[in-house]
Amino acid sequence: MDRPPLLSRAPRGFSVLGLVLFVAAVAALWAFPSFVKKPYVLHMGVVLFLAIIQGQAWNVVGGYAGQYSVGHAAYFGIGAYVTTMLLELNKIAPWIGIWAAIAAAVALSLVIGSITFRLRGPYFVLASISVAEIIRLAALHFKDFTRGAEGFLLSDIPALKIGATEIEFFTKRPFYFAALGLAVITIVANYLVQHSKLGYYFQAIREDQDAAHSLGINPAFYKNVALAISAAFTAWAGGFYAMFVKFIDPNTVFGLDVSVQFVLICIIGGIGTILGPVIGAMVLVPLSEVLRNPKGLVQLGILSSDSGFVRFVEANLSNAHLLVYGILVVIVILFAPEGVLGVIRRIAARVRRTAARGRTEPAATA
Amino acid sequence: MQSVISGILVGGVYALIGIGLTIIFGVMRIINFAQGELLMLGMYATWIVFSWLGIDPFLSIVITAPLLFLWGAFLQKTIINRVLNALPQNQILLTIGLGLIMSNSIMLAFTSDYRILTTSYSSSSFSVGGISISQPLLYAFLITAAITGALYWFLLKTDTGQAIRATAQDRDAAQLMGINVKAMSVLAFGLGSALAGVAGALISPTYYIFPQVGSAFTLKAFVIVVLGGMGSVIGATLGGLIIGVTESLSAVYIASGLKELVTFVLFLGLLLFKPSGLLGKTRA
Repeated sequence: MDRPPLLSRAPRGFSVLGLVLFVAAVAALWAFPSFVKKPYVLHMGVVLFLAIIQGQAWNVVGGYAGQYSVGHAAYFGIGAYVTTMLLELNKIAPWIGIWAAIAAAVALSLVIGSITFRLRGPYFVLASISVAEIIRLAALHFKDFTRGAEGFLLSDIPALKIGATEIEFFTKRPFYFAALGLAVITIVANYLVQHSKLGYYFQAIREDQDAAHSLGINPAFYKNVALAISAAFTAWAGGFYAMFVKFIDPNTVFGLDVSVQFVLICIIGGIGTILGPVIGAMVLVPLSEVLRNPKGLVQLGILSSDSGFVRFVEANLSNAHLLVYGILVVIVILFAPEGVLGVIRRIAARVRRTAARGRTEPAATA
Repeated sequence: MQSVISGILVGGVYALIGIGLTIIFGVMRIINFAQGELLMLGMYATWIVFSWLGIDPFLSIVITAPLLFLWGAFLQKTIINRVLNALPQNQILLTIGLGLIMSNSIMLAFTSDYRILTTSYSSSSFSVGGISISQPLLYAFLITAAITGALYWFLLKTDTGQAIRATAQDRDAAQLMGINVKAMSVLAFGLGSALAGVAGALISPTYYIFPQVGSAFTLKAFVIVVLGGMGSVIGATLGGLIIGVTESLSAVYIASGLKELVTFVLFLGLLLFKPSGLLGKTRA
């Protein structure tokens, strides 16, 4: 089958401009809550950073290694459940529990990978979905262990003591900083992976698994490595999600739409790039959050509480917000299969070409 | 024995969903992830016809089938057709997206409430030699058998059926032979949707009807199709029966909450050892 060209065939080298922009953006986001204190905005920020982490995590195995897992809810849910159960049942604080969650997800990924990576293309996609479904059904069934469909409602998260300072986790603010920090770490880690020998191996497998194999790259092994890295960050996101939302049940963390969301963030932005998931999250999160909770716009003063839009969305769309996911997927795949980033690059290239022609033309006529 | 019989009855309807999926895959090489949602549309169509017009669900298939055929043909012509040469992953995502649109639109229109369609025979059953056979399931099975038989006849004996099979075997060669491959794709998608719709109609007296009911059936349809060998109609029939019996037996001997889990484990095992399916030819 013909492969349409993917982005970032050869990642460009270290860019000073990129680094400066990245640091500036992070600094601006770090200072942001000092100026804007509205809980809804901070909430949106947390959800956005979480989506970026999810997208970057999926990108490692889906984008670089080219293995379209539609079962990432398995690792997300394990992250959420292990962190939650350690806190609720054993009083282990989440910043310790999360490491156990990551270890569990990585262990699971090695098992899943060794089973599913023997399959290719659509068969791999189907297998990845089945694994997540098996875990969801098991979580629903074994009630003694997981509380089944009832799920876990989290009590308060203990304060984090660093030296003399105590950080509480009652308001949105600490979650905002924590999510931003985790997102930055994830992005940097992704950049390092992409530009390492490992990243080149992943991309070689993505482009042509058999050719990579003949060059001495063991596809099964490196696909597993990619999945393990991806699972680690996914569990990280899952654990954080559980602490932030304070409620988990099998359907909300192991469901198929959770897995689809991972892919969607990358597809919308642009698969296999650092910037792609960031853009994807920036498109997806505001849309779905506004539809899920249009009252937020009232809180921001953008709309009045009796506005027709708010009433319409609340009455009709708030329990059907996945409709937006569906419409977005269809639009992106039909009209911009390389994502928003791809469209931007295409336009930029055209502009550059016209500019170049503008420069050379006078010389040609002279 | 009791559970084997009821497994076979349910398996017949499963086979219908699987056959629809396998025809679509055979002709278009596209894995339709919205198959369960098409079934869900069939259930809602049946429910509407039943509760508004009082038409029996088993009779309503003369309405649901053409309706779903048109809808499927429309989807193929306007949307699916554009991704015929795209990456299989993108095709899968596109159909997942279409499924989300269908289930959430139904949710907007009908809310997420569970609906039940109760007929006079919904809970009655025959008793044959100590084995009780649920009436609605038996009717559903008989209709399924009739439709499957008609479908075989159509695919084997009619010109159009042969054109569909030729397209499934080799798209390019079929085109060279003067077969309108595009029309065959529309026909195949319409047919696949109609079969899902019929299956939806047939199970509506025995299942809850709600917008999200589809995704479980989509996954089940895949298990059935992969089990039988992608693209094989006989394989899908066999796969449906096997899954029906497996579910029924594991509900009795393991736990009813785990019957689907057992199915998936079986599926994974099969994928590993014989990804081409029980009747499929080994193909890369």
